[in-house]
Amino acid sequence: MIRIEALTHVYPGGRRQPPRTAVADLTLHIPEGRFTILSGPNGSGKSTLFRILCGLARPSRGRVLVAGRDLLADPAAARARMGVVFQSPAVDKHLSVQENLSIHAALYGLTGAAFRARLDEALGWTDLDGRLGDRVDTLSGGLARQVELAKCLLTRPRLLLLDEPTTGLDPASRRSFLSALTRLRRERGMTVLMTSHIFSEAEDVDSVAIMANGRLLAHDTPQALRARLNTDVLVIDSPEPDTLVERLRADLGVTAIRHGDELRVDEPPGHTDAVALLERVLKDYRPLVRGITVKQPALEDVFIHVTAEARAARSGATPQETAA
Amino acid sequence: MTVAGKAPVHGGPETTLSRANDASLDESEAPPRASLWAVGAALARREFTRFIRQPTRVIGSIGQPLIFWVLLGAGLTPSFSAPGMEGMTYLEYFYPGVLMMMILFASVFASITIIEDRDQGFLQGVLVAPVPRLGIVLGKVGGASLVALFQTAILLVAAPFIGLSVSIGGAVLLAITLVLIALGFTGLGFLFAWPMKSTAGFHAMMMVIMMPMWVLSGAFFPITGVPSWLHWIMMINPVTHAMTILRAPFYADPLTLFGQGSYLIALAVVIVWVVGCLSLAAARVSARDKGIVQSAP
Repeated sequence: MIRIEALTHVYPGGRRQPPRTAVADLTLHIPEGRFTILSGPNGSGKSTLFRILCGLARPSRGRVLVAGRDLLADPAAARARMGVVFQSPAVDKHLSVQENLSIHAALYGLTGAAFRARLDEALGWTDLDGRLGDRVDTLSGGLARQVELAKCLLTRPRLLLLDEPTTGLDPASRRSFLSALTRLRRERGMTVLMTSHIFSEAEDVDSVAIMANGRLLAHDTPQALRARLNTDVLVIDSPEPDTLVERLRADLGVTAIRHGDELRVDEPPGHTDAVALLERVLKDYRPLVRGITVKQPALEDVFIHVTAEARAARSGATPQETAA
Repeated sequence: MTVAGKAPVHGGPETTLSRANDASLDESEAPPRASLWAVGAALARREFTRFIRQPTRVIGSIGQPLIFWVLLGAGLTPSFSAPGMEGMTYLEYFYPGVLMMMILFASVFASITIIEDRDQGFLQGVLVAPVPRLGIVLGKVGGASLVALFQTAILLVAAPFIGLSVSIGGAVLLAITLVLIALGFTGLGFLFAWPMKSTAGFHAMMMVIMMPMWVLSGAFFPITGVPSWLHWIMMINPVTHAMTILRAPFYADPLTLFGQGSYLIALAVVIVWVVGCLSLAAARVSARDKGIVQSAP
């Protein structure tokens, strides 16, 4: 459905800023009918990639095919087949739900009877029943997001692009939004590509792509990604993380990743497992430990591992720190 | 697929599902596309709905020029005696100028909403729609023209009371002229507002460029008898010509006007202004941020 080939985007520099590469030689293929989450730390190039995918920016190099159509040569043909939900709401808050939907439908060539026929169908995916006449600024945050979803669904897109759509929603609204997306994927065979920071959202999707510094670090199913960390993860909360990193490396040959204030060991050396390591750390470095946990690897742990490795590869040193 | 992990990789998404053939997708069912006019009409209707829903904006946009007109007209009438306009009160002279002012304000408001639309996110939803880019421009300028027509229609009711009479044909010509000028002003505002991030910057632009264009159009004082440097500035100002065609229907019927060379020249200038601004605006909307292409990495 989406085929990105050797995509590079360089932002022109200013008078005092050098040009900045946001996306570097990225190749990614998202097959039809999959729910994919695109993840990465802030500044990883996700948003730039998203802007290119919805045709708002032209890359420096590379090719993007959406539903077999060249997005750069013929953006309108590709746009007609996609629905986009932006991070900031793309609705007119001063107008009613119905007015917003009708404007959006008109932009896609749906008016009159054709619009009304699609309206009920699109609303069926949301909880907006009975709120059609209400102004969007009187709706709750969760319902306002659903207006955007209904808007997109009116045009029966083959591809849904969503940029951190659940930001600012409470857990219940987030769940109902995500379950609508999952159902759309299952029942309509819609391809869904969504950027997200929230890894709990990614546990049930078809595939997860991880980006950092404009490059694709991994793209795989959540199961396969979790399997990359074949041991449990040791997480240490330390009052002096830097000292502890040095001591662990010097004394035990253990590489710890610094993630915010915590230290993580996700690849214990040799055949030691995380629990044995926990006992060792507690015995030898008790004053440097405020809290310590052993946990099963979740996607977030894989993400931290993968981005730390990428940083290490770039700086040519051992992995030490990730963007928290 | 480049992988940055040590564990064995199981069948990834590339291997399992790459058989799906992109090119064969929904070839049979091409989605409907909106026409240029449908897009313009939908967006223009939104502009007008928003305008009507804000009573303070309606009152303000009509009240302000009206107060301006009555007070300035009353105050300046005793001292107003332009050559060749004996017997004309300033109230009457200034009347088409106030119509022009209403169009100016409607256009300025419309241009400001471009910045708000971008800021609040509405615009990005329109930009990713498969619509002709000129349609986006037409929606904005069309909406502004509707608003301007609505406001000026109210003021037109006052025309007979100051001794101005307009025939049916003249009224139609007047309405067309008002829309034409609204398109010109909004097109100009659109060009300035499109790249702006804050409405404050636009206010500055309006005071430095759009307001002087109105003042120096003959709306406020007649072009006859001004110093020659000012005369030249006024003559290259498209709004001066807009003022000419806006004033004319009050004093002659349309058929006579279309026989006058000076009227036709002014009309031509205004049309060039409108077409120029609208096509530049459409070109601006079509331009997408382009990543720079560097030589060999």
